[in-house]
Amino acid sequence: MRILLIEDDAETAAYVAAGLTETGHTLTIARDGRDGLFQATGQDWDLLLVDRMLPGLDGMTLVRTLRAGGIETPVLFLTTLGGIDDRVNGLNAGADDYLVKPFAFSELAARVAALGRRPRRTAAETVLRLADLEMDLLARSVKRAGHAIDLQPREFRLLEFLLRHAGEVVTRTMLLEQVWDLHFDPHTNVVESHISRLRAKIDKGHAPGLIQTLRGAGYCLREGTP
Amino acid sequence: MNVRRLARTTSFRLTVAYAIITGLSFLVLFAIVYWSAMAYMREQIDLTVKAEIREVRNGNTDGTLDGLRRSVERIAAQSPGYFYLLTDRSGKKLAGNLPALAPRIGVREWLEGERLESFADIDIRGCGTQDIDGAYLFVGTNAHQVDELRESVAHAFLWGTAIALLIVLIGGATASAAAMRRVEAISRTSRDIVNGDLRRRIPLSGTGDEFDHLATSINAMLDRIGVLMEGLRQVSTDIAHDLRTPLTRLRQRLELAQQRPPDIASLHATLAATVGDIDGILQTFGALLRIAQIESGVRKAHFRTLDLSELLRTVVEIHESAIEEKGQSLCDDIAPGLHVRGDRELLMQLFANLVENASRHCPAGARIAFVAAPIAHGVDVVVADDGPGIPADMREKVLHRFVRLDASRTTPGNGLGLALVQAIATLHDATLELDDNTPGLRVRVRLA
Repeated sequence: MRILLIEDDAETAAYVAAGLTETGHTLTIARDGRDGLFQATGQDWDLLLVDRMLPGLDGMTLVRTLRAGGIETPVLFLTTLGGIDDRVNGLNAGADDYLVKPFAFSELAARVAALGRRPRRTAAETVLRLADLEMDLLARSVKRAGHAIDLQPREFRLLEFLLRHAGEVVTRTMLLEQVWDLHFDPHTNVVESHISRLRAKIDKGHAPGLIQTLRGAGYCLREGTP
Repeated sequence: MNVRRLARTTSFRLTVAYAIITGLSFLVLFAIVYWSAMAYMREQIDLTVKAEIREVRNGNTDGTLDGLRRSVERIAAQSPGYFYLLTDRSGKKLAGNLPALAPRIGVREWLEGERLESFADIDIRGCGTQDIDGAYLFVGTNAHQVDELRESVAHAFLWGTAIALLIVLIGGATASAAAMRRVEAISRTSRDIVNGDLRRRIPLSGTGDEFDHLATSINAMLDRIGVLMEGLRQVSTDIAHDLRTPLTRLRQRLELAQQRPPDIASLHATLAATVGDIDGILQTFGALLRIAQIESGVRKAHFRTLDLSELLRTVVEIHESAIEEKGQSLCDDIAPGLHVRGDRELLMQLFANLVENASRHCPAGARIAFVAAPIAHGVDVVVADDGPGIPADMREKVLHRFVRLDASRTTPGNGLGLALVQAIATLHDATLELDDNTPGLRVRVRLA
């Protein structure tokens, strides 16, 4: 992916750039808001990584300007520690996701991958499929190999999110935010216990299972290789 | 007191405006009084004169011009204060005490400035009529009342206006001076505060007037600023004090690693532990900033009505399996359809913290109750456990930052959980009560 990183702190920029280049992306760095806006409008990017606090032009204004100009490139906001209003304001300004600094690199990589593959403005799907697993969003029913599976509402949302990001790494934080609408870490095993319940329901008797745990990174829903 | 400043005050300007309005209304009032009094006066004179004319005609018993002349002479001799004139067709004077006049019919008057030559100091008003054989009969009377009335009305107007304006101006100046003194007191206090005396407050007059209202608001604002400043100072002290311990530990570990012979495995272990410690420090920082931001109150802008029952059920869902894994039990009784105004994320964190706190400080086998019920004007949420509880003298203190019952700080936690709960509750104007659950701790949150 061609990624534009707009970040004034040289050390953070170098760290992010090195890591993302290693995972196969092409990184360009803009050092301030004005340069960032100029580069963001001048070329076609797959993703913009925008720091919230920038010299010249702050990140919020930059994203708002881009969106007002009809540029719909996905934006991942990097917000500062403890900025509890930044998330709401950033998403309102038109950002697609946010990440609070300091972050674990695996978290950033997962979110970058998720945003990059996010289909841009496609018609809403009503049936999600992976292998012999099928989820009907209108009937709110799930079938595995033709057999109906009964899911609790939360398990349904969890599986829906995993299906929408099939093949991608999904972190625990992403699940807390998207499935539970929780923007702080409750330090409980809620994700783990729901994943294991879901696994018991959809993967029981099917080896290898679709829900895979990636140690230290998160989860991934994909067709298993034995 | 500075007169030029006084003249520039709003109340003085208002006073001047009122004075002008007062003067104008006096003018209108007097004009109306003047015109109606004058008209009434003239009407009275005209009626008297017409009655006199009738009397002169009645006195003409034989109906000839000569009879009329005799009647005029007779009546003129009897009635002082009246003026008569009778002329014949050619304008020759036949009788009366007035000089010959042009025979004009109707009301005529000679007032000050245009008086008749031979009556230079008498005002005359009367009425002329045509009589037999083309004779002209005029009867008039002394009209000095008209002039007197005109003069007295003018005097009354001048004096009245002057006195009224004087009263308005003096009153206005006094009121302005009083207002200026109050404003002066406010700005003097502000200057003192700017100069560093942060405990100064604006004195109240106790009358409950608008200045008292203003002063109360400003004092409340100053109190709030004081609380925030105190909070900021507290946070700085807390950070300095409480982050020193983990930073020192971190430094010692790294120093030790430096001294030991390089061994990849142990270096990796040290690095992992270091990252863990730094994450802990960052979390503490994050929590402190979060508390400070919540205490600043900006978050209130995001308040909206939300489904508290759903929120509390999510809190249960998040914690139930972790609690069961610890061998404890979570017993929830959440009334459906509870709604409150607030910030979903913060309220979620408040209750999650309370439940997590209960679980963390209780041994295996403990029972945690989570109950929410509607009360008059609000909702009561109780988180109760049967664990060790908090001694009565510590219940107030644990709500402060970095206060922990475990002084050695060996149990996990940064001592900010309940401080965050307190900050969120205060933001929502909710009351937070910590009580003895005999045994255990009972926390009651009352949301409006």
